[in-house]
Amino acid sequence: MSQVLIQAGSRFLNALGRHSELIMHAYVNGSVDESNFSRKVLEQLIQLGILWRPDPQSALRLKSAVRNLLESGLQDERNRNINANIGTALASLKTIAEHYKESLHYNRFNEAHAYMTDLTEHVYQLTESLANSVRVMFSRINNEFGYVSSVEAKIRENELAQGQVSELLNQLECFRFDELSEIAGSNRELRHLLVVALQQSFSKATQELSVAQARLLDLLGRFREFQGRTRLLKGFLLHMEHHPDFAPGNYPNLTQVPVLFNQSAAMLKPASIDVNQVAHEQELQQIVASLSSVYRRKPVVSEPEKASTIDVSEQQSVDLESDPLQEEVDAYFCEVIDNGQSLSALDYFSQRELEFDPEVWIYQVIGDYQALDDEDKQFFAIDPVGRADEKYTGNFVIHDVTLGLR
Amino acid sequence: MMTEQGKVLSALLNGQFICQVSDEDSWRFLKSRDNASKLEPHLNLLNRTLATTGEGEVFFAGYLTLGDEERKVLLQQFQETTSSLVPLVEWLLLVQQASESDMPLTMGNAIRLNELQTVIEDTPAYSEQLEKISRYRLFGSTSVNLDGQLKQVFKKLTDLGYLMKPNPEKQIYLATGKVEHLFEVIRFIDETESLSLSEQAEAAIQQGSLL
Repeated sequence: MSQVLIQAGSRFLNALGRHSELIMHAYVNGSVDESNFSRKVLEQLIQLGILWRPDPQSALRLKSAVRNLLESGLQDERNRNINANIGTALASLKTIAEHYKESLHYNRFNEAHAYMTDLTEHVYQLTESLANSVRVMFSRINNEFGYVSSVEAKIRENELAQGQVSELLNQLECFRFDELSEIAGSNRELRHLLVVALQQSFSKATQELSVAQARLLDLLGRFREFQGRTRLLKGFLLHMEHHPDFAPGNYPNLTQVPVLFNQSAAMLKPASIDVNQVAHEQELQQIVASLSSVYRRKPVVSEPEKASTIDVSEQQSVDLESDPLQEEVDAYFCEVIDNGQSLSALDYFSQRELEFDPEVWIYQVIGDYQALDDEDKQFFAIDPVGRADEKYTGNFVIHDVTLGLR
Repeated sequence: MMTEQGKVLSALLNGQFICQVSDEDSWRFLKSRDNASKLEPHLNLLNRTLATTGEGEVFFAGYLTLGDEERKVLLQQFQETTSSLVPLVEWLLLVQQASESDMPLTMGNAIRLNELQTVIEDTPAYSEQLEKISRYRLFGSTSVNLDGQLKQVFKKLTDLGYLMKPNPEKQIYLATGKVEHLFEVIRFIDETESLSLSEQAEAAIQQGSLL
């Protein structure tokens, strides 16, 4: 018998392993896409009780037992079910314990052993399910219901979790340790299972659940605060939309200004340099040394120039008065041209009884001759009249010049 | 070198809001009742007193007695506050909606600018909203691209003290206690003017208004 059971079991597990892809697909998506897998495989899985079809039209789904196995194995947070059915579990514990005691009484040790195994299994199942429920609860609290996005959904999730916690706590009250210890009587093994193991798990669970409850209330408060804030913001915008000219009362004018609006102005300004402070001398020197350039020029204040009026009347004509010396030189040149004879400058000077300094006169004549164009110069010939210096050879002292035509 | 007390005092006199995010040392200093009472005479000397907001988590300096001069300052502040309420509230809602968690911004929340920018870029409604917000006079952005608008808004908010950037090289901003102050201001206006803003919002949500 047991051999057959073992074989069936390993067949079942093999099927799970062989079709792990299909099963995980169904676990993640909720149902199996039948067109992707062969008909035969699906039939086999249905027969093994891994997949089932809830009603003829719907798609194939995973059996809840397989789903639970995966959820607890993967510690998947999607698992939000909490097995709160402790009452029935306790009732079955009591029943099996009675069976065990009865078979011991009649010395049916084989039977008693089987009942004991059964009872151990049940007790540990119960403690495990309690521990699991608490773990699930905490994992949801710790990520603050991160699997739902909106604050409203978080609040609903929180309320669900609170309901589950109080339900669990209610169920935990079903533990009557006086009854259990009465059933266990003086039997050591029964006492270990029913009183020690259960009590440990019970006290641990109640302790953790009360912590969880406090945390949930705390979280709920925070969520409500967030919700309140969001509503406040949205309400404000809505109000401003409906009443664009809304202006709050002038609170700073009230006799008792609310603390919120009583905010003093900034008053501290940077301190100034004190050059007489000897202690600062070194720092100040360093600052001066590190200046890359010293600006002493006053900033140029550029005032915009006024547009001046433009005078378009005729400008006063300017008469250029010729120098009388130059006029006389011109006349002297003309005299030479008119007479066609050479004439000494000093002779002309004395003829006309001119009043200039004779030396200046001679210089002006030489100068005017040099100022003539090359073409005009060719008409005249100028000869200096003078003698060599008595003392210094090579120096020729000019007394007069003679201008003539070539 | 200034003592801790001097540092806190000068921060308060400079009109700063001190919270756990903006300046944790000073905040811790002020949390101690002894230290706060030691500061009080110094503040009183200058006609100031230590004030708190955000359920006692944010400190700032308020006037002790109000003369005409002080009222003038407060009046101006109040006008600035009320005129910037709408842009700030719109910005708060935008950040909340664009963040995955849908949680309102509270003190200490981090905003990763790059993530926010990606979400806003991918959602046309948010980019329009951002453009509208950045055009308010409070933010005064003239930029045509989203990147410039977002940076301008965040820079301005940092200048105003609503946000702070703990690491200058990273585009991560933390909300400071001034955000809490903002919420309190709105709550105060709501209560004083009996606007029942929450009820309005709830009614609108139930009517399926697009908020």
